[in-house]
Amino acid sequence: MISKIVKSGLTRRTFLKSTAVTALSAGLPGASRAAGSTIRIGFLAPLTGAVAAWGKPGLDGCQIWAERVNAAGGIKLGDGSHEIEFVSYDNEYDPAKARTGATKLIREDGVSFIMMLGGDTWPGVQPVADKTGMLFSTLLPSDLSPDTSTLIAPAEVHPIYNVTGVEWLAENKPELKTAVMCAQDDALGLPSVATYLAAFEAAGIEMLDAPLLFDPATTDFAPVVTRLISKDPDIVCLDTCYSDYVHPIAEQLFQQGFKGQIISCTADFYDQMIAKTSEEFMEGFVFQFPDFDDPALNGSNINFTDPNGFYAEYNRRHPGQWGAVSWEYASIMDLWKAAAEKAGSASPDAVAAAMKDGKGKHAFGDADWWGTELFGIDNALVGDWPVVAIEQGKARIKDFRSIPDWYAKHGDLLVKHMQAYDQMWDQRS
Amino acid sequence: MPKFLIWTAALAALIALPHGLSFSQQEILVFLTINVLLVASYRLLTLTGEWSLGHVVIMGVGAYSSALLTKKLGVYVPVSMLLGGVIAALIAVLLSFPLFRMKGFYFLIGSFAAGEIIRLLWKRFRDPFGGAKGIKGIDPMPDFSAGFYQFDFFEPASYYYFAGAVVAVCLWILWRIEKSPVGLTFHAVHWQDKLAQASGVNVRAYRTLAFAIASGFAGISGALLAHYVGTINPNAFDIDLMVYVLTWAIVGGTATFYGPILGCVVLTVINEIVLRELGLEQMRPLIYGAIMILSILFLPNGLESIVQKFTQRRAAGGAPERRPAE
Repeated sequence: MISKIVKSGLTRRTFLKSTAVTALSAGLPGASRAAGSTIRIGFLAPLTGAVAAWGKPGLDGCQIWAERVNAAGGIKLGDGSHEIEFVSYDNEYDPAKARTGATKLIREDGVSFIMMLGGDTWPGVQPVADKTGMLFSTLLPSDLSPDTSTLIAPAEVHPIYNVTGVEWLAENKPELKTAVMCAQDDALGLPSVATYLAAFEAAGIEMLDAPLLFDPATTDFAPVVTRLISKDPDIVCLDTCYSDYVHPIAEQLFQQGFKGQIISCTADFYDQMIAKTSEEFMEGFVFQFPDFDDPALNGSNINFTDPNGFYAEYNRRHPGQWGAVSWEYASIMDLWKAAAEKAGSASPDAVAAAMKDGKGKHAFGDADWWGTELFGIDNALVGDWPVVAIEQGKARIKDFRSIPDWYAKHGDLLVKHMQAYDQMWDQRS
Repeated sequence: MPKFLIWTAALAALIALPHGLSFSQQEILVFLTINVLLVASYRLLTLTGEWSLGHVVIMGVGAYSSALLTKKLGVYVPVSMLLGGVIAALIAVLLSFPLFRMKGFYFLIGSFAAGEIIRLLWKRFRDPFGGAKGIKGIDPMPDFSAGFYQFDFFEPASYYYFAGAVVAVCLWILWRIEKSPVGLTFHAVHWQDKLAQASGVNVRAYRTLAFAIASGFAGISGALLAHYVGTINPNAFDIDLMVYVLTWAIVGGTATFYGPILGCVVLTVINEIVLRELGLEQMRPLIYGAIMILSILFLPNGLESIVQKFTQRRAAGGAPERRPAE
């Protein structure tokens, strides 16, 4: 088979053909797509290591999603109903392992769609995506570029939605006039820094210092926090720090007596942060990811199926592990399922075309495919995003804000700061 | 003659190997081949008695150099790989000035600090190093036809043959160096440094030479990695990978040329194939750590000691023992 492929030169067509034959010869059910057969979905994310908190809870959420969909009769395509099965590969947030995982999922497991966290791992996978035409999703739209035609960012337009938190803060707590910010110096932290800078500038909040970028290997945050609060800011912004950083930074802010406002992209496992600090200290902490038992998610605008039931089931199986990504991958599957049923097929090309035909059913309301200016391609689904604050020890949605509306008013600021940090799609090396 | 047959059979097995593996296992085979060169080059440095924590960063120097040479200057990929190794060796020579003022534990810590400085420079200077995101879209090895075989370097089997050939040549050179008077002097620098010095050996020069040669080959392994994966970033060459290299060397043993290679092969197969196939994907760090602790407890001389025992027994079994009664 290999010699046949290499003689003819590998194209998308020969690649997919060989993959199907290989999968069939291995007796894999996902390859034949006979009515009633199982459709396999790839989950290629870090399940171990420092970034596992943004992979593992997502896989747990997907398993619940699959059980619920299968119990309701599966996915209905042109040739009948199919059950869904997830096949995972732990890429350890390493591009080389991500490439190996993508190869396995496509060429051996016969998956129809692959969900990724993205970031550092996407460039390792991109050649595989280019060769095979497989449809991939990322949580990090900074992976998007005109070259990534088979990559979509349908759940999270990180970090652009962070503007909604700052905008809400400026409107509801106008007494807050000054801010400082810290972030890990990596592919996740830098575009978020640019976004928060734009949001603060748009809100008229003064930055007292340049963002403090710390090395991702940092473990002692006492000096970071000491320097941060030395200028007595009203707001400390934790950017998009991993939970391994958010927790010790919050703890240090508490220990060093900070009394002001904290804003962060995430506050995963915030109950543990409260336990390490105090309920009073964490009161009013603003971030962007709700618990799905929030009453505000029962509105008619919400497209996520039964968010309260999903949250209850998740917490029953994985108590204390609900995080930012617990629902996101599952929400991508809602979108994928709707598109596959619309197309009547699970083939990557058909699903992608159906998905981008008209408005997208984003978890937090109908949204538009957007992003040419920032990402060079309209493959990010953008609409409303919630602003969440901790009140009496519990995360509560305070408001839904429109990202496109903010961008229409302040897009030039975002572009300016993104350019300053070399984060525009045409600046990425 | 039997030795020749063994080598021929081993070569045939290595050539046939990818065709007996799945696509993803072929991918792992490519990375394993590259890591074999990395760990074998690391052993050359340990011959002089110095253990470095910067070897993986030096591998990264080769990767970044080769990637930038192709991206910015359009250098032909195989040439850039070679130059990547040369640049890594030159950087090692530069680093040797401060580092070889230290010995033992101090050298270990110094090498870690030097490596971190290099990694921070990659992060700080987005031009040309790409900052925290690193460099992506690195030119792949250009495809070509060798008449009997079409090399398509997207395919792991093709890249395995290419990387395997490069690594085989590098291992042969490393082997020849170790068996040469220079290699013997490396051993002397480790075990009898005062005596070597008294005999007129410039100990520091030999340490520098070992460091530079080891770094050169580590640089080539980095270049091989960069042009296969197509992307590199500072985190790919952090202390985590260095811990793996140390583990391979310790579990395999460093007394023989093949010890660290054995450690690398066995642990990679266990970690990347066996544990994943057993469905223990998320338990791998725990099991991997347990294997390391157990091997240190029960195999203090590494996996190579098992091979040595086996080969010694065979050698003893080959010639019938004389008994006093006979």
